Amino acid sequence: MLSESARVTTAHEAGFRVQYPNSRERAAKIIALDAEAAKALEPVSREHWHGAAFFTSLSFSAPSAPGQTLDAWLNDVAGHAMNLAAEVAEADYVVVITSAGEDSRAVSVIAEACKLRKKTLVGLILTHNGPTDEQVAASLKELRPYTRMLVVASGADYIEAMLTALRA
Amino acid sequence: MLRKEQNDYLSQTGPGTPLGNLFRCYWMPALLAEELPENDCPPVRVKLMSERLLAVRDSEGKYGLIDEFCAHRGVSLWFGRNEDCGLRCPYHGWKYDVTGQCVDVPSEAVESGYAKKIKLKNYPLIERGGVLWTYMGPADKQPPLPEFEFCTVPLNQTFTTKRVQECNWLQAMEGGIDSSHVSWLHRGDLSNDPLFKGAAGNKYNMQDMSPVFEVVENDGGLLIGARRNAEDDQYYWRITPWVMPCYTGVPPRGDHPIHGHFWVPIDDESCWAWSYDYHPTRPLSDVEVAAMKDGKGVHVKYVPGTYRPAANKDNDYLMNRAAQKAGKTFSGIEGIGMQDASLQESMGPLCDRTKENLVGTDNGIIMARHRLQRAAKALADKGTIPPGVDPEHHKVRQAALLLKHDMPFRDGAKEALKAKQGVRQTSV
Repeated sequence: MLSESARVTTAHEAGFRVQYPNSRERAAKIIALDAEAAKALEPVSREHWHGAAFFTSLSFSAPSAPGQTLDAWLNDVAGHAMNLAAEVAEADYVVVITSAGEDSRAVSVIAEACKLRKKTLVGLILTHNGPTDEQVAASLKELRPYTRMLVVASGADYIEAMLTALRA
Repeated sequence: MLRKEQNDYLSQTGPGTPLGNLFRCYWMPALLAEELPENDCPPVRVKLMSERLLAVRDSEGKYGLIDEFCAHRGVSLWFGRNEDCGLRCPYHGWKYDVTGQCVDVPSEAVESGYAKKIKLKNYPLIERGGVLWTYMGPADKQPPLPEFEFCTVPLNQTFTTKRVQECNWLQAMEGGIDSSHVSWLHRGDLSNDPLFKGAAGNKYNMQDMSPVFEVVENDGGLLIGARRNAEDDQYYWRITPWVMPCYTGVPPRGDHPIHGHFWVPIDDESCWAWSYDYHPTRPLSDVEVAAMKDGKGVHVKYVPGTYRPAANKDNDYLMNRAAQKAGKTFSGIEGIGMQDASLQESMGPLCDRTKENLVGTDNGIIMARHRLQRAAKALADKGTIPPGVDPEHHKVRQAALLLKHDMPFRDGAKEALKAKQGVRQTSV
């Protein structure tokens, strides 16, 4: 006598699974931390995505009201500047991308916004330009305190693979 | 998530498929040496990567892996008589040697040379570390023998079992690199299982239930580091190696033997979960071996006379709701091996990844899939030998250690991640 679990896990029964979406579109914010990463991200941003927004740099402006801290702005590939805090607030998760050895200090500002809104921050370090071990180590050191998951990828094609897998 | 065509690409390992061609670049565990215990012993049916084969050991102790079916009328040679350096089909007496060469067709005169023109497909079968390994790719591309440490230490330092798992190889293998499930599914076993308990590092697992992950590409595959907070400006790192395409190591605990797995496709809806335990510098104790035989650690208890787990889907894996409610086990299933297998089999024989919703901490899985696709494509397009074929890639060890906060685990654990003869594992 087969148990229930034995029956429902057959290939035949798998055909009867509910064919209905089990999730809604999620807002991913993908942010390049340096120019090299922006270069890698730019062609990816032109693909068709579901609710993902791509940003190629971070800039700051004087506070909009006296007594406030600097305002941080994310610049998208079309040249629009979006408020960092507002973008993070509406995000489901945030991905930061840096090219190993490049200046990735902006991560701390993004991480602060993520922490405030309790958003998961994923870090991706690209090594496709052949950095030294020291440069990779420096990038790891920069991103490690802030990210829940940190990936070192040898190919820029991993950006698209990861975002597709995450339904970005 | 994967699109359906990607899922099929990664799941299907039969002859001629992209992943099938990739798998056929490697030596794979085919069966345990104990399954062919003596010369002229009964042959064993072996299905690997959707090919039905027969493992034989002849009168001189030579091993062979040949097409299961007689070239005459298609009878399974499992019924054959193993005698005088050959396997004779009981139907009409055709006889084959361990290379699959037909050596006798009784209805035809020897002088006719008829038998010489009959040859079954065959693959090499060699013994290493109590495991019989096969290579199913082109003969001219056969790589050097495997050098995984569990199969190169003396036999009294290693113990390997296998169990059939009723699902596709990939969903089983992905469990081996999915470090984030350990804090949930296996949380009860750290303090109970004789092959885990007592390690100093266990306290870090229990104190910090939100590990943070790092995934780094390695020559042969990946290193997946899970870090937890520890004392004095340090992290407790548990580092899982994945060697392409289907070898995974579990980070060690204290001086307990090191364990891990091979996930070998039987066909597209089932696989062999191989589980090894070894110690690099000392024989396994009688107590340890007894625990392994009793299904502790990564091993399982069997349906007698088979390699099918005693807890299986026909009996709902002996689900114990009382133990689940009491927190003795998190899922209600006993034993780490079956805790994993029960959930992986529950996904169905072939997981539909078009419906999954991965999160950032699943990047180990995402990267493994990416590397498999990339390697299969490079093999198909340019004939590139994939990572993990080179025996040097096998000489990697899992590790568990404390490192300063600013130390990259790959650098801090550089020596710990190398398999070195006579050197103890790095473990907390």
